Amino acid sequence: MSQSQEKQNNKGLQWVTFRLGDEKYGINVMQVQEVLRVAEIAPVPGAPSYVLGIINLRGNVVTVIDTRNRFGLMSKETDDSSRIVVIETASHIIGILVDSVAEVVELHTSDIETAPNVGNEETSKYIQGVTSRDNELLILVDLNQFLSDDEISELDMF
Amino acid sequence: MAVSLNNAPHILHQELALDTYLKTLLEELPVAVPSPPPEATPATPPRTLQPVTKPLVKNPVKQPQTLKAKAVRQEFPPCALPLAVMPEWAQHEFQAIFFKVGPLILATPLTELSRTLKFGRVITKIPKQPSWFMGLLEDQGKKIGILDTSQLILGKSKSLNRDLIEQPFKSMLVTQDGNWALACDEVLSIAKVTPEQVRWRTDRQSRPWLIGTVIEELTAVIDVSRLTPRRKGG
Repeated sequence: MSQSQEKQNNKGLQWVTFRLGDEKYGINVMQVQEVLRVAEIAPVPGAPSYVLGIINLRGNVVTVIDTRNRFGLMSKETDDSSRIVVIETASHIIGILVDSVAEVVELHTSDIETAPNVGNEETSKYIQGVTSRDNELLILVDLNQFLSDDEISELDMF
Repeated sequence: MAVSLNNAPHILHQELALDTYLKTLLEELPVAVPSPPPEATPATPPRTLQPVTKPLVKNPVKQPQTLKAKAVRQEFPPCALPLAVMPEWAQHEFQAIFFKVGPLILATPLTELSRTLKFGRVITKIPKQPSWFMGLLEDQGKKIGILDTSQLILGKSKSLNRDLIEQPFKSMLVTQDGNWALACDEVLSIAKVTPEQVRWRTDRQSRPWLIGTVIEELTAVIDVSRLTPRRKGG
């Protein structure tokens, strides 16, 4: 492999990191539109359990996903550190509720390892990989796989 | 060596007893596991703990517990022939590490493992994985997947009775490739085991990781390569 190819394959990407429980996660900074303090989230009757509700973001309705529920974690009351990260997936703009937003880090492709996936393909496909950072592991989330096509279709009904 | 007619019923009886014992221990039932009979617990001397984090295969064997095989013969009746395809390590004397997981004492060859680690360091949980996958631990540049051995072996229903916060695992055995570690309650000892001391299973369609039983101690011999999942990448 030529040096230029190697450099291309090892390009740096920036990731926004956030916390959920004891773990730290990263999402591609290019897909993050903004980070909001938690204001009123209006519940949607009949919505699936992973949908917390909707918010009004400058006239646009944004569905907020309960990320703890999505990741199989215990629910937790929001507090001063809680944030809604507004992200752009392949087809939608959604908000994900996280315990706190930490920082933006730059990672090289070579730093990222595939997470051992021993679970159901469908449920864990959004785990893009893991990397070591400041003596802890950072779990990288593929936002384009965060919701399935069926789930995205469901969001259109709100 | 031929099996005398007088010995044959004795061996059959012994194998039936072993089958019943293992079935009782490993069968997934919603009830608590009965304690192993007294002979399942090594009596004396107390097993020597091995130093942690040193490569296991380089450790000198302390108090080698060379097991006696006086009651067992290599030849089995036709109904209990050992597997045609055995792991390489099972075909001659091997050093096994004995460890405890809940009520079970298990053994596996040292060559399948690289080192032991103590619990207490941060384990990163990966979302939406099976409950037997406890998370990842970074050690020596590898991201080791920690497996709840109790759940893998006893099944989820029995292990759900265990509260890992109140009764946490204390040690883990890291596989030779460094991809996985088996959580356990205690590393007991390292001892030499000869093939004659083991009653090898003849059929591994169910529980393929259970390869046999050290007869004198009623210790299940685990084939780690069949117990750990195949790692997709990483």
